[in-house]
Amino acid sequence: MTEPLVQMRGITKRFGGVTALSNVDLDAYAGEVLAIVGDNGAGKSTLIKILTGVYQPTEGSMSIAGQPLVLNSHSDAIAEGIDAVYQTLALADHLDPAANMFLGNELTTRFAGITVLDNKRMRAETERVLMERLGVRLKSLDAPTESLSGGQRQAVAIARAVYHEGLRVLVMDEPTAALGPQETARTLNLIEALKDQGLAVILISHSLDDVFQVSDRVHVQRRGRRAGVVKTAESTQREVLGLIVGAEEAA
Amino acid sequence: MTTMATNIEPKSLQERLEPYLAIIGPMVMILAILLFMGVAEPTRYFRLSNLNLILLDAALYMPMAMAMTFVITQRGIDLSIGSIAALSGILMAFLIKQYAFPAWVALPIAIMLGATMGLINGLVITRFKVPDLIGTLAMDLVYRGLALVIAKGLVLARFPDLITDVGRGKIPGFVPVPVVIGIATMIGGYWLLKKTYFGRYTVAIGSSPEAAEMTGIAVDRHKIYAYVLMGAAAALAGVMLTGKLNAIQATSAPYFNLHVIAAVVVGGTSLFGGRASMLGSFAGVLLLSMMINALVTLRIEFFWQSVASGVVIVSSVALYTWMQKKDRDGSRGLLAGLMTPEGQKLMRFSAALIGVLIALLAIGALLAGNPVPSG
Ligand SMILES: Nc1ncnc2c1ncn2[C@@H]1O[C@H](COP(=O)(O)OP(=O)(O)OP(=O)(O)O)[C@@H](O)[C@H]1O
Ligand SMILES: [Mg+2]
Repeated sequence: MTEPLVQMRGITKRFGGVTALSNVDLDAYAGEVLAIVGDNGAGKSTLIKILTGVYQPTEGSMSIAGQPLVLNSHSDAIAEGIDAVYQTLALADHLDPAANMFLGNELTTRFAGITVLDNKRMRAETERVLMERLGVRLKSLDAPTESLSGGQRQAVAIARAVYHEGLRVLVMDEPTAALGPQETARTLNLIEALKDQGLAVILISHSLDDVFQVSDRVHVQRRGRRAGVVKTAESTQREVLGLIVGAEEAA
Repeated sequence: MTTMATNIEPKSLQERLEPYLAIIGPMVMILAILLFMGVAEPTRYFRLSNLNLILLDAALYMPMAMAMTFVITQRGIDLSIGSIAALSGILMAFLIKQYAFPAWVALPIAIMLGATMGLINGLVITRFKVPDLIGTLAMDLVYRGLALVIAKGLVLARFPDLITDVGRGKIPGFVPVPVVIGIATMIGGYWLLKKTYFGRYTVAIGSSPEAAEMTGIAVDRHKIYAYVLMGAAAALAGVMLTGKLNAIQATSAPYFNLHVIAAVVVGGTSLFGGRASMLGSFAGVLLLSMMINALVTLRIEFFWQSVASGVVIVSSVALYTWMQKKDRDGSRGLLAGLMTPEGQKLMRFSAALIGVLIALLAIGALLAGNPVPSG
C-alpha cells in the first residue's frame, strides 16, 4: 500500500479527569476498509468523533492526503471530505427517501421568480445515487422512510453521505447493530461497494464476524490505547479477541 | 459491483390506502352526516341557502386550519388563536372607527398585528423554553385580557364595505368571497407544505427533532415561522368574522381553538408530529361545519356543539393512534387489554368510583326535601 490517506498521530483526549484516549495513532487508506474494535468504553466512538470534527483532541495531530488537518466542527470535516453515518440514523421517518437524502441541503428551482423545492430532481438524483453508488433500488421512492427496512434506511443514510462529491472518508459507527442477518449482509455489501469506489471506509463494530468478512485491517482499542493493528487476511478472530481483552499481553 | 435490488412485492391494501387515509376518515363521516340528515331533515338541510351557510361557516376556519396544520405537524399547538382573532379584529375596528383609518390600510395592519402576536408566541416557546401548550394558553389570557381592556364591554359595529365583503360578500353567480379566501389559503398552504423549505422542515422537525438538528436545520426559526403564520391566519379570521357579523367585541370567537384543532386532527394530521395532511384539514373543516349545522338544523341546543367538538377530537386521535399501532405490531382489538390483570385493576377502580358516585346520588335523593328556588 501507498501513503495513508488519513493519519492520526499521538491523539489524546481528556474529558475533565477522564482520559478517553491516550496517545493513539491511526492510519486509514483509500480503497480500504479499516475496522475499529474494542470493548465498551475503549474509546472507539471518541476516536472517530475527533476525526469527524465533533470533538477536538487534547493532544496530537492529524493529516489528510499529506496536508495537516485541523477540524473545529463537523462541517469542517465534511468540507474536507470526511463524513459519518451514525447508528441513530438521523432520518426523518415521515419524509420520503429523497427528502431525507437532501434534508438541509435541498435542490431548488425558480418558479415565477420564487425559489421552490425541486422535488422531481431530488427524486431522480436519489434514485441515481442509490443505484449507481450503492446498487440499491427501492420499490417506491414516494413512500415515507418509515416504511423501509433497516437496511434500506441504512442505504438512504449512506447515500446522503456519498452524494457529496468530495467525500474521501466515510465513518460508520456500528451500522449493523440493529439489523437482522439478511440486512446485515446487504449493508456489508454496501461497504464493499464504497471501498471499491476508492473511499476510505472506517467501520466500528462489535461483531467480529462482520469485521472479518468485510475489513482489510483491524485497529484494536483497549482502555483508550491502541492495543494493536492487524491485517485481517493474516489474522484470526482469536487473535483479535485476545488483543481486545488483553490476553496476549498477559500471556 | 454488488447489487441488491429489492424485490418488488405487491403493495398491501393498507399501503395503497395510506396516502388517502387522512381524507377517507372525514369523508366517511361527511357521508354519514349526509345520510343521516337525508333521513332526518332532508328539506331544511339540503336547501341551497343552508349549503351556503355551511360554506360560509367553513370558510372562516380554513385559514386557521391551514396554519394549524403546520403548527401541529411540528409537534406544537396554539391555544391562543381565538384571542388573537378577537384582539386583531378589535384593534382594526378601533383604527377604522376611532382614528378613521381607511379600511384597506386597517385590514393589513390587523393581519400584521396577528402575525406579531404569533411572533411573540413563537419567541415565548423557543427563547424562554415555555412548552407550547402552557405558553400559548398563557398568551391566550394576555391577548383576551388586552381585548377586554381596550374594548371594555363595547360592541363595535357597522364597518366599511371592504370589511363586510371579506366576511360575507358575494361574487354574483359564484361562491361567497370568504369561501374564495378560505380555499385560496388552503391551496397556498398545500403549496407551502410541498414546495418550500418551510414545509419540508416542518415535517422534518415534527418527525425527528434530533435528525432536523443534526442536519443543520434552524429548528427554532422554523417553529417561529409556523406561529407567525398561525397568528396572521387567526387575525385574518378575526377580520372575516368582523365582516360576517358586521360587529366585533372582546368576547368574540371563544371556540376557535378547539374547533380548529378538531378539524386538523380529524383530517389526519398527527398530534405526535411529522404527519401533515392539508387536504385532510380541508375535509376536517367541512366536516365540522356540516356537523354543527346539522345540530342547528335538528334544533339541538347550541351548547351541544362544544360537546360534539370534544368528542370528535378524542375519537379521531384515538382512532388514528389505534390504526397506526395495528400496522406496527399487529395488535388485537381495543377490548383485549381489559382482560389483563392490569386492565382488571383499572376496571375495579372505575367501578368503585362510579359506585361511590351512585351511592352519593342515592343518599342525596333520599334526603332531598322540596326544592328552594335560588333567587
Ligand atoms: N462526552 C464525554 N464526557 C465524559 N466522558 C466521556 C465522554 N465521551 C466519552 N467519554 C468516556 O470516554 C471513554 C470512551 O468512550 P467511547 O464512547 O469512546 O467508547 P466506545 O469504545 O465507543 O464504547 P462503546 O463500545 O460502548 O460504544 C469512556 O470511559 C467514556 O465514559
Ligand atoms: Mg461507541
